[in-house]
Amino acid sequence: MTMKKRKNKSIYLMLVPIYAFTIIFVLFPILYMILLSFLSKAEVWGVVKEVTLDNYKKITEPLYIKTFLDSIKLAAISTGFVVLLGYPFGYFMAKLSKKWKRRMMELIMVPFWTSGLMRLYGWIIVFRSNGTLDQILMGLHITKSPLKLLYSYEAVVVGMIYALMPFMVLSVYSSAEKMDWTLVEAARDLGATKFKAFITITLKQTMPGLLSGVILTFVPSMGMFFVADLLGGNKIVLVGSVIQEQLTKGRNLPFAAAMSVVLMLLTTMLISLYKRVTGSGEMEGLV
Amino acid sequence: MKKNSKLTNFYLALMIIITYIPIVITVVYSFNESKISTIWSGISLKWYEELFRDRDMKEALRNSLVLAFFCCSLSAIIGTLGAVGMSKVKTKANHVIEYLATIPIMIPEIILGMVFLAVFSLLSIPFGMTTLVIAHTSFCIPYVLLNVKARLAGMDGSLEEAARDLGAGRFRAFIDIVLPLITPAILSGVLLSFAMSFDDVVISIFVTGPKVNILPVKIYTKIKTGVTPEINALATVLLAATVLLLFLSGWIGRRAGRFENKEDGNEERN
Amino acid sequence: MKKGIKKRAAALILIMTCIVAACSGCKKSEEEKELNLYTWDGMFPQEVLDGFEDETGIKIYYSNFDYDEDMLAKLEETKGGDYDLVIADDYIIELAIKEGLVQKLDKTKISNFSNINSLYQGQFYDETDEYTVPYGAGIPLIVYDPAVVGFEITGYADLWDASLKDSVAIIGNYRVIDGIALKTMEESFNTEDLSVIEAAGEKLKELAPNIRVINDNNTQDFIISGEVSAAFLYTSQVNQALAARPDLKVAYPKEGLGFGIMAAFVPSMAPNADEAHQFLEYILRPEVSAKCFEYIGYYCTNKAAEEYISEELKDVLVVPESVTEGEIIQNISEEAEELHSKIWNEFKAECD
Repeated sequence: MTMKKRKNKSIYLMLVPIYAFTIIFVLFPILYMILLSFLSKAEVWGVVKEVTLDNYKKITEPLYIKTFLDSIKLAAISTGFVVLLGYPFGYFMAKLSKKWKRRMMELIMVPFWTSGLMRLYGWIIVFRSNGTLDQILMGLHITKSPLKLLYSYEAVVVGMIYALMPFMVLSVYSSAEKMDWTLVEAARDLGATKFKAFITITLKQTMPGLLSGVILTFVPSMGMFFVADLLGGNKIVLVGSVIQEQLTKGRNLPFAAAMSVVLMLLTTMLISLYKRVTGSGEMEGLV
Repeated sequence: MKKNSKLTNFYLALMIIITYIPIVITVVYSFNESKISTIWSGISLKWYEELFRDRDMKEALRNSLVLAFFCCSLSAIIGTLGAVGMSKVKTKANHVIEYLATIPIMIPEIILGMVFLAVFSLLSIPFGMTTLVIAHTSFCIPYVLLNVKARLAGMDGSLEEAARDLGAGRFRAFIDIVLPLITPAILSGVLLSFAMSFDDVVISIFVTGPKVNILPVKIYTKIKTGVTPEINALATVLLAATVLLLFLSGWIGRRAGRFENKEDGNEERN
Repeated sequence: MKKGIKKRAAALILIMTCIVAACSGCKKSEEEKELNLYTWDGMFPQEVLDGFEDETGIKIYYSNFDYDEDMLAKLEETKGGDYDLVIADDYIIELAIKEGLVQKLDKTKISNFSNINSLYQGQFYDETDEYTVPYGAGIPLIVYDPAVVGFEITGYADLWDASLKDSVAIIGNYRVIDGIALKTMEESFNTEDLSVIEAAGEKLKELAPNIRVINDNNTQDFIISGEVSAAFLYTSQVNQALAARPDLKVAYPKEGLGFGIMAAFVPSMAPNADEAHQFLEYILRPEVSAKCFEYIGYYCTNKAAEEYISEELKDVLVVPESVTEGEIIQNISEEAEELHSKIWNEFKAECD
């Protein structure tokens, strides 16, 4: 009895840092943001203490609703592609030899440690009119005039996939890596088809990784906008860019806060919906 | 466990090659003579000379390394302890805290930066390295936490139980059994954290102080006024340093491993 | 295998610790005079900064902001402390002064104050020249490639020409872009008439098919590389584009020019106000000033410096008389500002 008590105490100690940090430096700022969203804009900067719902009313204007829908659409499309391309990558990576696993990990991480902006500029040099790709294609007489690839929706999606893929790969990998492969073999021995064994055993075992991968991809992609600005030529209006503009040129802190609150709630709802649909609600995870 | 087929290995190789296309371009253009990043006008090393002369850049790099070090260590400790603790004590509060901890990567950086700015000044924490470390830690914790949690989920608890039954203390059981199992997850979380901290512009601009320039902000503001090949040269140098670091740590790791194996062998013989 | 990873992790951490330790070792310990400069990147050539440090022994800490409003937020939160000298755009300075975040300059410490070109003084943000020293001016202009564009561009309205489909790049400042629509309707940039702004929004939507890129940074790259055949650019971008491609042509839009001034000020609670004044005195010296303007590529606001600017740059850096008739974009009523932001977002959505 006393033993058990002591045990629990030390475990609670492990939780102290994360609870303390999260409450002081996340919960408190978030509450502050929520408070801001109910106040009115001051003339030059900041807020005046006048409680109002106007900021939320303004979000229901068609322009802003469209912005939210566009952001969800882009995030969903990007996450979908990231799952399709990243899941197999993480899965196959876990089946490599020990040496190659390590090398793969390094190969994935190295680009990550250079500036993300620089990588986007690298892509711009490749894809822009008369860029590397055009020069190669025109040199080989495959195309006659520059392809105008950049500054389109497709370019933005490709850029998002590129930026977010490593999160999926690493999550899936870390869960596939500790997978119990004997279960798959057993299922196969019992006559399950490859496909059936994959669905019932592999997918189930790697689900935590897939789930955290989807969260790590979808969540930031809702607020991300610099990819759309650079590769889409600023022509797609996303929630992130509206918030940015309201904070800077508009100097409208309360409205930007209200948009952030809605974005936060929306993302939370979509994630919990996703968990319910995939039946992973029982699992360890968010929300 | 079955090995990969040729096709799947081809897939892995292809994805890696695609990943590296912009990196190669960045490196190639660092040797471009022309100041304009879109025109190729001959090979030159002058941008490297310029880079090494750039005092601000060196200082920014130093600050960024210090920042990344503190923020990674803090997030590794807080995130790992949190994930392990949560797997043992199951309360409703855990879900709330976990949800809260992921909010920093959920909302756009700029509002977070703005809110941090207000909150730090409310708490009268002077702007500088401290505020940078706190802000960066806040968005790095989720990477460690989620990674370690995914690794712990469904992990066999019986090993630890067995160790405890054999008389290992709680601490020893944790160090010997749990920690090695979750190390890869901590490591990949820390690597991601490092990358995120090394790349964050928007939040940093708001929470940094007058004397602390950091690399991503420097790169970003330089890119804004024109992508000079000096930035490409910087990216190339960082890339080279990263590769060197990985190589070095691999080498030390292998040597240490060999040394230990030898010791193990001796013990067996005795 | 697990052991291997652990070893690797330990090695990695060890190396990182060493680097950090080595890095923090090289910190200077001595107490020295300093100046905290806060502006965009690339506002001073390195030799000017070095020259000041060598001459005075004051160490410059140069930090950057992204938008003018970021700077305002920072000053508000630090109550005008932390930074000693700020350089920003005209309209934000008006707000900062209004908020009491700027201190009056002690002109007895700035003997070179008289070098300033009076054209840029007495402006709306500082009518009595008590707070600011102008540091560069700009006018957004149209640059186009005459080999591709089949006609001569003379005004904003030409950007609406159907032959320019999907081949125009514009800067991303909505007051400026909404403003050119207003100009084509012979209205002021600063109109507060909501129905007029609304109409400008409709006019702007017709421009959407021609827009290939909206980008506030490095917009000149698009015209240099041939991605677009016409571009509406800031002054420094115009100069960069012309330097890279002399075959490009510049159009001074006949509908009237927009005009902006950047200026330096000392925040109200600046910890090193004396050093800030010393710096202002230094950069107002004609020969130093000339170096600065050659470097930043904005119109020279220092009359005495004009003779020191090299011959080949004189044309682009010394402002033509006609240009000064331009209209400055100023702060307008909240409703008008909000409507501007709305029509801008609708315009962007239309471009997609």
